[in-house]
Amino acid sequence: MAAMVINGVIDGLSWILLVAGGFFYLVGAIGLVRMPDVFTRMHAGSLSDTLGAGLLIAGMVLQAGPTLVAAKLIIILGVLLFTGAVATHALARAALQDKMHPLVSIPGKGKLIEMAAEDAVVPVTDLVPMARIKNRLNPGGSKP
Amino acid sequence: MMFAVAIIAVLLALTLTVWRALKGPTVFDRLLAANSVGTGAILLLALFGFMTGRPEFLDLGLTYVLLNIIGTLAVLKYFRYGSLAHGGEDEETET
Amino acid sequence: MVLLTLMAAITIGIVRLRNLFAVVVLGGIYSFLMASVLIVLDAVDVAMTEASVGAGISTVLMLGTLHLTKSEETVPTHTPILPLFVAVVTGAALIYGTFGLPPFGIADTPMHAGPGGDYLALSIPDTGVANVVTSVLSSYRGFDTLGETTVVFTAGIAVLLLLKRAIRPQSDK
Repeated sequence: MAAMVINGVIDGLSWILLVAGGFFYLVGAIGLVRMPDVFTRMHAGSLSDTLGAGLLIAGMVLQAGPTLVAAKLIIILGVLLFTGAVATHALARAALQDKMHPLVSIPGKGKLIEMAAEDAVVPVTDLVPMARIKNRLNPGGSKP
Repeated sequence: MMFAVAIIAVLLALTLTVWRALKGPTVFDRLLAANSVGTGAILLLALFGFMTGRPEFLDLGLTYVLLNIIGTLAVLKYFRYGSLAHGGEDEETET
Repeated sequence: MVLLTLMAAITIGIVRLRNLFAVVVLGGIYSFLMASVLIVLDAVDVAMTEASVGAGISTVLMLGTLHLTKSEETVPTHTPILPLFVAVVTGAALIYGTFGLPPFGIADTPMHAGPGGDYLALSIPDTGVANVVTSVLSSYRGFDTLGETTVVFTAGIAVLLLLKRAIRPQSDK
């Protein structure tokens, strides 16, 4: 009887985790399509890589129980988390090197412009802190 | 059943990602989409293995993760240095 | 079904694109989708090969090749009517051929009525290798596999030579 209850609880938790993971994965993909430029798309893609994949794998771990399969799943999740961050960072860096500028929002205008020095009508100090990206030697600021 | 729901979600996400890869104005969009497709393939593999009751497929998933990162990093390195055989020693002076 | 549709979309994208970098990236996506299809078809080993060769090695090799050429494809000067005709006829013949195949996964096909069962029954007493595929590849067909390995090894050496010779002057600069 107790085992049945525990199984039911585990199944319910797996349901919740898997559905939530699928939802976030889908949201990330929608963001990948809808966002306006490369850097924001990276931001959306990282959602599906971390939250979506994490929840899905957590749901599968619950179904697998304490076996070797669960260990493999956790290894996959760890590798995904590390490599996702590295790949996104390298992608943003390479995009900056290729003279692509992130879109920034100007306070009070509500319009996105491309952060190129010539196009910026307002002084750089008026922009949101993302404007630090103009200093291209500091690509760490481009993290989503 | 629960895996089927997740598989449908992942398939829809893969569709959207592939659309971005086909549409993407820059190469970086396509690369990002390729990375996401790799992740999606891994998740699809794991979920399908669970749905059919054969979670031994996960060893393949490990391979896919490593291949995915190798592919993405190779392309990005090519973009930064114009060559695959180039070392990273002039990283700071190049900009 | 969804995966196959996506693969068709990717193929059309590859054909339409002129930027070869993008084509390489799309090729990687295509390989991952193909591997997923193969997994759904229960051919896990083929899927593994497809993923490592298609998405891993060939992406890197194509990039090395791109370094030696331009990254934009030139616009073709001839019209592709005749090749299109040949491709369509071949595809139609292949699709017609699939109507004669037995249903997927059925047990009493000619393929399974042949000597395959003997291999399954005899390979462990014959060779002592636990995996039947391995025993066939490296014991019953050992010389064949040796020849294949030689071919692959030679091709690998040739590719390395081609890529390396042209890269060297760049990195000396």
